[in-house]
Order: sequence, then structure tokens, then C-alpha cells
Amino acid sequence: MSVGSLTLSAASRRRLTRARLLNRIFTIALWSLGILAMLPLFFIAGFVLAKGASHLNFNLFTKTPAVPGAPGGGISQAFVGSGLIVGMSVIFSVILGLGAAIYISEFGSTRAASVIRFTGDVLLSTPSIVAGFLVWTLIIAHWFPYSALAGSIAISLLIWPIVARASEDILRLVPRELRDAGAALGAPKWKVVVRVVIPAASAGLANAVLLAVARGIGETAPVLLTILGSDYISVNPTHPSDTISLRIYNYARSPVSSLHDIAWAASLSLLIIVLLLSLTARYLGARTRKAMA
Amino acid sequence: MRRVKAVHLIAGLVVIALAGAACSSKSNTNTNTAFKGVAMTGSGATFPQPVYEALFKTFHDTVESGAQITYGGGGSGKGISDIQAKAVDFGASDQPLSAKDQRPGLLEIPTVLGAVTVAYNVPGVPTGLKLTPDAIAGIFEGKITSWDDPAIKTQNPGTTLPHQAIAGVVRQDSSGTTFVFASYLNKVSPSWKADKNLGGKTDPATGKASIKQLNWPKSFDQEQGNANVAGKIQQTKYSIGYVELAYALSNNITFASVPYCTPTATGCTPGPDYVAPSITSVSAAGAGLTFPITSSTNILNSTASGAYPISTTTYLLVYTAQTDKSKGQTIVDLLTWLLHKGQDVIKGQNYAPLPDSIITQDDALIAQISSGGTPLTPSSGTK
Amino acid sequence: MIRSTPAEVGAPLSRRKRARLGDFIASKATGIAALALVALLVAFLINFALGSREGLRVLGFRYLWTTGIIAKFSVQGAFPYIFGTLVTSAIALILGVPVAVGLALFVTEVCPRRIRAAVATLSDMLAAIPSVVYGMWGFFVLTPWMDATLEPWLHKVLGPIPGFGRLFQGNTFGSDILTAGVILSIMILPIVTSISREILSAVPRELRDGAYALGATRYEVIRGVTLPFSRAGIVGASMLGLGRALGETIAVIMVIGNNASVQASLFGKGYTIPSFIAGSFGESGTNGLDRSLLTLMALILVVISLGFAALARLFVRRINQRARIAFDTGSARSAWMSRSR
Repeated sequence: MSVGSLTLSAASRRRLTRARLLNRIFTIALWSLGILAMLPLFFIAGFVLAKGASHLNFNLFTKTPAVPGAPGGGISQAFVGSGLIVGMSVIFSVILGLGAAIYISEFGSTRAASVIRFTGDVLLSTPSIVAGFLVWTLIIAHWFPYSALAGSIAISLLIWPIVARASEDILRLVPRELRDAGAALGAPKWKVVVRVVIPAASAGLANAVLLAVARGIGETAPVLLTILGSDYISVNPTHPSDTISLRIYNYARSPVSSLHDIAWAASLSLLIIVLLLSLTARYLGARTRKAMA
Repeated sequence: MRRVKAVHLIAGLVVIALAGAACSSKSNTNTNTAFKGVAMTGSGATFPQPVYEALFKTFHDTVESGAQITYGGGGSGKGISDIQAKAVDFGASDQPLSAKDQRPGLLEIPTVLGAVTVAYNVPGVPTGLKLTPDAIAGIFEGKITSWDDPAIKTQNPGTTLPHQAIAGVVRQDSSGTTFVFASYLNKVSPSWKADKNLGGKTDPATGKASIKQLNWPKSFDQEQGNANVAGKIQQTKYSIGYVELAYALSNNITFASVPYCTPTATGCTPGPDYVAPSITSVSAAGAGLTFPITSSTNILNSTASGAYPISTTTYLLVYTAQTDKSKGQTIVDLLTWLLHKGQDVIKGQNYAPLPDSIITQDDALIAQISSGGTPLTPSSGTK
Repeated sequence: MIRSTPAEVGAPLSRRKRARLGDFIASKATGIAALALVALLVAFLINFALGSREGLRVLGFRYLWTTGIIAKFSVQGAFPYIFGTLVTSAIALILGVPVAVGLALFVTEVCPRRIRAAVATLSDMLAAIPSVVYGMWGFFVLTPWMDATLEPWLHKVLGPIPGFGRLFQGNTFGSDILTAGVILSIMILPIVTSISREILSAVPRELRDGAYALGATRYEVIRGVTLPFSRAGIVGASMLGLGRALGETIAVIMVIGNNASVQASLFGKGYTIPSFIAGSFGESGTNGLDRSLLTLMALILVVISLGFAALARLFVRRINQRARIAFDTGSARSAWMSRSR
């Protein structure tokens, strides 16, 4: 056989065939791995969809749990609680995280910036149970009761680094020309940040917040240790609360099959919420990057 | 424009939360008391959790509309720990407080009677499998490993028992239910009592048997709380575990019948009659309850006729000195209503009410609860 | 960073003062927020270290390698928790990293251009699924399937092998370490894949084109150029995946059986440090010794997780410096940040 205008020796021919064969096997292996890696997503999402869709009804969102043994009932208090807890966490972590991001990108020295950036990255890997445990030790020490507030602080510890790092990424992308233009017009730094940089980065900052919300709403371990769970709708931060994730966790392992149904429906709702938030965040992030490039 | 999206999202969440709050003021059917009650928190034993949740909800819906009582469960160990730390307003435990756990002014108030059933999930085996105390001890020590072991087979000649390994499901957390179950086995099985990992565990501080968290055999599945043990038994074929009666009955989980066992010098001779756990057999055991109830005067292995051997009472833990007057009043009202008017709810959840003599003594305990020096009396309509 | 200062020549003094005051406040306020982030890390470490002192004083480090109950204090030794954590994480890495890297290679090398973005997005969506949903699926779907199908098959096929077969002995009912390991491996897929994708795309085009020009097949280029170049980065990605596996609580509690014992078989029940903390925190509120030991395990967990995360950052940073890209932007971080537990 010949390649181009070359004629190959037998040994070379064999090597070439072997190389092509290995390549083919490898390509098939990669395709298999690719499909294999995608399977869990389809299995899990598909299962949740199949099991949850049939039990997704208005009761889930409008009724509180029924007395043990009685039919009907929903988990409306869990949706309210999740909203309250994650809402408060977002407020805490945006104030602190955005502040840190602004400091790194606008005011700090490069040395400080890299230390803080590194710390933020490391904190992204904080195990959730540890954040919950830290706050629980404060509950036992009487700093808070088992409450929505305690839960939101635990979740803030986890999503604060997300907001900090994601915001800083975006702020760094804001073109230097915008800042220099502001400075050239005589505006003080803080005014440039507030009036020019942040508005320019607003989509990206929304991306950061959405990522944080998506993460916070799915968390169970931090609230397991801090909010006690509740059957009543409450917006009082000092009262015990409930979240969708905590309800699913408890209902899944209970022996009551009607609660299993509610757990599947709640899982589907949670999954839809989280996926919508994540996809929107991705979209906003991509658009910002394109706009800034 | 895009920043507005995020603002809208957060605003949306807040609106949902506020709307939920607006809907939270439920209308009451009949409010008997003028005092509306306030929100309270409690945690602890999962043994009585179904009946407590039903009682608290009924109390909120029909007696005191402000009394939103959140019961967090978590096991007797958590209940004791939380009330000692005063992180909750009341605790719940199935085990009487040990000397080490008692705190000044902490009352233990018995509330209902229940039973620990030996529940199993074996296809083809109906409820009522006859298990002797020795068989139960052997299974939970990991010594009897197959469903068709002679120890089980001889007592149940009419049932086809499969040749399958027994999958034990027990508690992971510090549990009053475990305490009751293990105390019973301590009484009736010498081999269990001698087992260092199980019956023989002692509390180094007191030297007395501390049997809330045991060193179970390696192959046993451990779960948190009665509900999760029941759920796991339901999910796992050929499994066996111990759960409170209500969990088994409400979810069609099959459970064993257990005989009374006459103590002898070398152990315990089971009688001929196998008793199934039910409200009736639990009440029969409970009739023998005397005050004060200690670990040696509880109703395990009761001699009363028709009594289920593994019956017990369970306690609510409350401080006599209540700093918050409204909370104290709510607790007093709740406890009184529960004891005097809660019978139907209690039976509806498959628990048994306490005998009248104990209820009277409970009332005396409740009378000790005071706030700012003045004792709190139950509001009218709760008795 | 803005280097210029307000410089309106001839502006009234008050306006310049106000501007400088505004900047001063802004920089100090945001500086505090930035410092707080560092303080958070320190707070975790110091708080847990202080809390562990009593436990260590009473029991000593012996607590960490004792398997059974320490009779004198009626306390369960911590080795089963550490063992369970290590074994489940090891399974997660062994099963998950090859698949994740394979997926990353698939996306960067073989996947048709048109569906590349879709596949990448799908893979990142896997990161967004909350742990409790993984736990539900594991409890109701994976565990029964493992019990009825996969584990008996493994027992039959691999069990008889001397030595290695010991991993597959025993009864297959109920939850076990293997199931927990499998779920963890699925959970670490998105992180390892997305970072690996960035790493693999960072291989300089000249190197790869050169290899192709020499007549190498795609396989030979990947094996000879791409992978060696990306090795450190992939190790970094795996470390981040490991960090996630170590700290996962909810999904593991639901499928592992929570029995504090050390067994050779993967079909045995196990216990991990996070499930220990979640299971035992309740009753240790006023028990000083128990709480101190719990805090010690939390400290170990934090140090290991954050330690691996720091190492991973350093590895990945080295790759980036060599390839001169900014890892910091891009979908990788989004995927990494959006996983919940």
C-alpha cells in the first residue's frame, strides 16, 4: 500500500494499520465514555420527572402538611421558608461578597488581591455540613435559636465565596477604558465604581447572584442542623423554618408512601427551579463575556 | 435591563414569602380558651412523634390558634440535649433521665403509652410471626442470621420461611426506642445482657446500663429516627428492625407477636401465649404503671394478662421555671389538654392513653410550672 | 484598577475633600468585606481547633485510629468514619475521574462541533442537581438495582478471585459503601469534566499541530501530547472532585447504612465523617467530650477538603501559567460553583 507517493515496508504498513486501529478503538471508547457520562443526568432527571410530574399539583404549593395519616396536604411552608432563608442569605452574601469583589478589583493591591482571591477559591470547597455545624455550635451557645436566621447564616457561609469570586471575575472583565474615562472626567473612584463599573457589569453580577441562589436553594445539610423544620408558614427570622430540600430529605426516608409522592413532586419542583436558575445564570454570564470582549 | 431581572427574582421570592405570611393566619373552628397561645419549639423522641404532631396540630386548630408548636424530632438524645441547653422550649424522651442528665427544675411528664414492635418485611410472611425473647435477642445480636433458622421455624410451623439472610435495621442516633427495646432484652435474655456490645454497655460515669447507642453487628443498617427505620424496612426485603407500633400499623408493616416471659434463675421461660401489640395490649400493660416511674418500675415484660411485653411510656421534659409567661401558659394548657382531652387523637394515632391515676399525678407535676414566681394554672377548656 | 485620582485643578477644596472621603470610606468598607472573607477561613480553622482541644486532651490522637469502642469513655473510635470517607472517595475517584476525563476528551476532540455546546451545558447541569435529589434517586432507584442486579453479578464474577475478590463478599441487601461510592462518582463528574475541558483546551495548538503534521493519529496525539501536558491540571481537577466527594453528606447518609465498622467488603455498611457529624450532632449539645470529638472530626474534614482545594488551585494555576490562559472566567467555574450538597 502507499501513502501519497511513498511505498511502505511491511513493518511500517503493520505499524500504520495498528495505529489506525488503536485510533478507531480510542475514538469509540471516547464516544462510549461521553455517552456514559451523559446517562446519569438523563436517568436522574428523567426519573424525577416521571415520578414527580404525576404528583405535582396545586396542593403542594398551597397547603401545609396534613395530620399524620390524613390525606392531602402539601409543603407550602417549605417554599416560603426556602424563599425566606435563601433571600436573607443572598442579602448577606451580596453585601459581603460584592464588597470583597469591589475591593479586589478597584482598591486593593495586587498582593492583597491574590491572597483574597485564593482564599475565596479555597472556601468554594467548604463542606456544607461544616458550615451547618459551625452555626449549630452558636445555637447551642445561645447566640440564636433554631431559626430561619441561623439557617440563612449557615447558607451564607457557603454562597458568600461564590458571589465574591463570580463578581470579581466579572468586574475584572469591565474594560479599563470605562474606568479611565470616568477618572478623566474627574470623578472619584467610588463614583466610577457605582455609576460606571457596576452598571456595566450588571448582567454578570446577576449571573453571580443566580448561581448563589441556585446553590443555596439546593442545600440541605446546613439547614438540617439549624432550622428544626416546621409545619407552619412563617416569615419570622427568629422562628424555626423549613425548606424544600429538608422536606424531601425527611419525606424520602419515611415509611408513608403518600409522603414519598410529595417528595418526588418537590424534587421535581426543586430541580426545575435550580436548572432554570443555572441556565439563566449561564446565559447572562456568556452574554456579559461576549459584551465585554 | 439584566440587573432588573435579578432584582425581580429576589423581589419575587420576597413576595412569595410575604404572601405566605398573609395566608398563615388560619381561621379557627372553636376557640375554647381566651388565651391564644404562642409559638413554641420542641425536639426529641421519634417514638411518639406521630401522636405528638397530631396532638399539637389539633391543639393549634381547635384550642389555641396562636400555639404554633414546631416539633423537630431527632431522637431522645437530641431532646435531652436541647432542653438541657435550653435551645428549645420542651424536650421529649422515652428514657427516664439518668442522674447525670437531670437538671434542677426539669420535669419529666409521662404523656402516652406506646409499644416497640419487632417489625419485618419478608414476602409471604404475614403479621403475627411468633418470636421468643431468645429468638429476638439472637437475631439482633447477629447470631441468628437466616430466616429459616430453627429458633424461628419451630415457633411458626404453619409459615413458610425462606432461606434468606436476615437484614437488620436499627438506630444510628441516640434513641429512647433503643433504650426501651434493649432494656426489655436485658430483662429477658441472659445472652443479650452478657453481650458487651449490646446489653452490657455501661455508662462509665454512673456504672449503670447506658443503652441508648449500641454497638450493633457489622451487617446492620442504621438509620435516624423511627420513621427512617420503618421506611428502610419497607424498602428492604428480608429485613427486620424495631419501631414504634404506630409506624408499623399506619404503613402496613408486618410485626411479630411476643410472649410474656417468666424470669428464672438462668434466664426466662416464655409462656404459651403470644401477644400482638395493639392499643388494648398496651393499655393492659400500662394499667400497672406506678409513680414515680424509673427504669426499674417501668412496664416492660408486664405480668398483667393480655399485656404486650415491650410497652412503655414516654415523657415530655419541661422546666418548672418558665421565663416567658406566655410560653409557660401555652405549655401548661397544652399538657393539660393533651392528658385530659386528647384521648381520641391519641387512640386515633394508635397509641394508648395513660391510666387515670398517672394523669392525676401528672396534673400535680404540671401545677409546679410557674413564671416569675407565680404558678400557672391551665386555662379553662383544657380540662 | 483605577490608578488616577480626582484631579480637578482649581476645584473647590470641599469637593476634593468629599471625593477623597468617599474613596476612603469606600475602600475601607470594601476592604473590611474582603478581610472578612479571609477571616471566615480563619474562623473555621481556629474555632474548630479550639473546640477539639478537650477531646484530644482526654482521648489523645489514639481516638483517630481506634476502630471499636473506647471502653473507658464509652465512645466509638473514629477510624471507621475516616475509613468510610476514604473508601467512598477512592471509589468515587476510581470510577469518576476516567469517565470525566473521557467526557472532557470527547467534548474537546471528538464531539461534532454543532452539539459541543449542548453537551457541555448538559454536563454542567449535572452539577446543579441538589444532593437531596441525588439521594432520593440513590435511595429509591440505585440501591434496589444494585441489590438485585449489579452486586449479585459482581459477587458471582469477581468474588471468586483470590485477594481482590474479598471486596465483593457478603450479602448485598440494603445500603452499602459501593452504592455510596457510585453516587459520589456521578456527583464529581461535572466538576472534574468542566475543569478538565478547560485544561485540555489550553494545550498549545502548535504542539498538537506539530504532532499531527508528523503523521500521528488522534489517539497518539492525545496520548503523547495532550494528556502529558495536561497531567497536572487533571490531577488538580481530580483533587477538586475529591474535595466534593469528601464533604458530601446528604446523598451518602441515604445510601450508606451508617454502621460504624471497618469491613473488607464493598457490600458492607459504612460511615463517613460528614454522616457522623449529621447523625450525632443532636445529642452532643451539652456533652462536652462528645461535642469536642465531633468538632475534631469537623476540623479534620475542613482541613482535608480545603487543603485539597488549595493544592488543586496551585496545580491548575501552574498549568494556566504555562498555557497563558485565564482559567478564572468561563463555564468551568460556573459549573464548579453551582453544585450543592
